[in-house]
Amino acid sequence: MVAALNDDQEVDATLRAVLVDVLGLGTDQVAAFTESTALFGDLPEFDSMAVAGLLSELEERLGILIEDDEVDAEMLENYGRLLTFLRAKALR
Amino acid sequence: MSRGDLTYDRYTSNGSEEWLMRIGPRGGPALLFLPPFFEELNRSRAMLVRTMRALAARGWTCVLPDLPGAGESGRLLEDIGWDDWRSAAFDSASKEVIATVSIRGGCLLDDVLAARGAWRLSPVSGAALLRDLDRTRIADDGATGGYTPSAALRAGLMAATPIENTLVRTVRLSSDRADADHKIDGAPPWRRAEPQSSSELAELLVCDIDTWVRACVAS
Repeated sequence: MVAALNDDQEVDATLRAVLVDVLGLGTDQVAAFTESTALFGDLPEFDSMAVAGLLSELEERLGILIEDDEVDAEMLENYGRLLTFLRAKALR
Repeated sequence: MSRGDLTYDRYTSNGSEEWLMRIGPRGGPALLFLPPFFEELNRSRAMLVRTMRALAARGWTCVLPDLPGAGESGRLLEDIGWDDWRSAAFDSASKEVIATVSIRGGCLLDDVLAARGAWRLSPVSGAALLRDLDRTRIADDGATGGYTPSAALRAGLMAATPIENTLVRTVRLSSDRADADHKIDGAPPWRRAEPQSSSELAELLVCDIDTWVRACVAS
């Protein structure tokens, strides 16, 4: 259902869109995120319940599967780590 | 009762009575809403009802059934199989229903009424819904908000994907890359833990549903 991803920028754009759609963050706020922007434990909207919905939406939109044992605080620590994880999944 | 008013009725499926909510005149051309499943329904309900009211104002009778084991149903979700939901979608459709309006998991049921037009918002596979349900259980220390589907329901859902036929229109949100006939701007209410205003999204849905179903009927 989802066309193959072939571009780093597409994964980045999808992650930013999902952060806006699922967490209710502002488009401008998310557009300003850099690789070092802290996420889990730092953004009040980014709590453990939100993580479940966020991962499910990323799976649907990127056409990937994220296993429970791949999810930890380190992978969710900041924008760059999460993006790197998703690129490795979506672009291989 | 005047146009636009809301009433509750019963329908019978597999020998048990279930509720359905009707907004709009009885006996007019009707749209059957097939709702999202589990927690996604609660999060989407305000948008659903707003959409139904606005379509009723345009002359449509909008009907929203409770699936067995969901909403106000007297049956327990644990006792429900996938076939019960498939049967309920069929049994809740009166002869006035000319199209279905399905959201998310509801799109896995609309093929039981394949002769009617099927308008879909963000269709999803049953497997993806189960993954989300199980992930929520882990995040919430075992409590899935009370959703404990039976093995039979899980098995049916796991295998279910939206069925394509010629009378389908698929609409998705513009931030969703998946294929669609039409994309609209908005955030997915079924993902939001916090309530949000749904009026703008509902109005976009109403325009597209109204235009497409009228064109379907005319052709």
